Amino acid sequence: MTIANSLFLNSMERETQALARGLRRRDPDLLDRLIEQYQYRLLRYLLYLTGSREAAEDFFQETWVRVIDRGHQYNSKFKFETWLFTIARNLVIDFRRRKTTGSLDALSEPGEGQPMAEPAAPDNLSPADLAAAHEESERVWAALARLPAFYREVLLLRFQEDLTLEEIAAVVAAPLSTVKSRLYRGLSELREKLETEKV
Amino acid sequence: MSENDHERAERLILGDWVEGLSPTDHQWVNRHLETCARCSKFADSAEQALRRLRSVSVRGDPVLVRAIRLRLHARALELHERRVQLTMLWISCALSWVLGALSAPFVWRAFAWLGERSRIPAFAWQLGFALWWALPAVAVTVVFVMRRTRAENRL
Repeated sequence: MTIANSLFLNSMERETQALARGLRRRDPDLLDRLIEQYQYRLLRYLLYLTGSREAAEDFFQETWVRVIDRGHQYNSKFKFETWLFTIARNLVIDFRRRKTTGSLDALSEPGEGQPMAEPAAPDNLSPADLAAAHEESERVWAALARLPAFYREVLLLRFQEDLTLEEIAAVVAAPLSTVKSRLYRGLSELREKLETEKV
Repeated sequence: MSENDHERAERLILGDWVEGLSPTDHQWVNRHLETCARCSKFADSAEQALRRLRSVSVRGDPVLVRAIRLRLHARALELHERRVQLTMLWISCALSWVLGALSAPFVWRAFAWLGERSRIPAFAWQLGFALWWALPAVAVTVVFVMRRTRAENRL
């Protein structure tokens, strides 16, 4: 390991330790910063998980409430986002368990008939570009909506959140081999769906 | 080229994105792609699918963020107050236990005297003493159970 790497790891460790202390104190400024920093990522993760904007927003709120309630349980050895996504995931699963089964399989049908969320496009585009970007986003969402939730979830964590395979395994509470096979299968299915849709 | 070669190539193309490849596998798949139009197309479409996936962003909601901020501040305050109450409760428990321990011999004698005067059996006034001793603990337990039930109901 290079010196730069080790310095980076040390500073990251110090940062997560400070975060853990702040969470134990329930520091309001820290919570504001965390919401600011992670709002899009958490909402996007919940959207991928639930497939419904309305449900994602409900779980978004509950996740933050749980962050403040269980702040003392945060282990500074892990990245904050890993813990945050785990909380969000458990909330969704608990909710589903109360309704039906205790796994993400029940989320295979996104949003139970509700429309998927409208994705955002950058503000500096012309109206035509904006419309094209919107259409493209809708197409990708439509393809994602036809994937089972447990594929959508790992695809997001790997390719949008850039989590390592081990971190994903921690979030989804599954063995590394399961995570890998979901990624292979999810990516393959997404490719097929986007490909067929183009024709 | 056999079907097995194509299957292997497709798996390695996906594997490169999912977990990375060993130099040997990398070399093999690159050599295969140079000569196989079908797998090259597969590689292109996989790359494009990922690019499209990464391009998807989500619209934030400032109202939602403001609402959750307010809710969290209120919750932090509530939890802080609850913590203060809990600390007070523990201090009261400790004080009550110390006072109970210090006064136990006198109270025992008082119970014995009362028992003798009112001619009640020894086990009855001893039970009374035990209740007197256990009362603070029982009260605290009741408080804790009530708090927990209330918290669970709120969830």
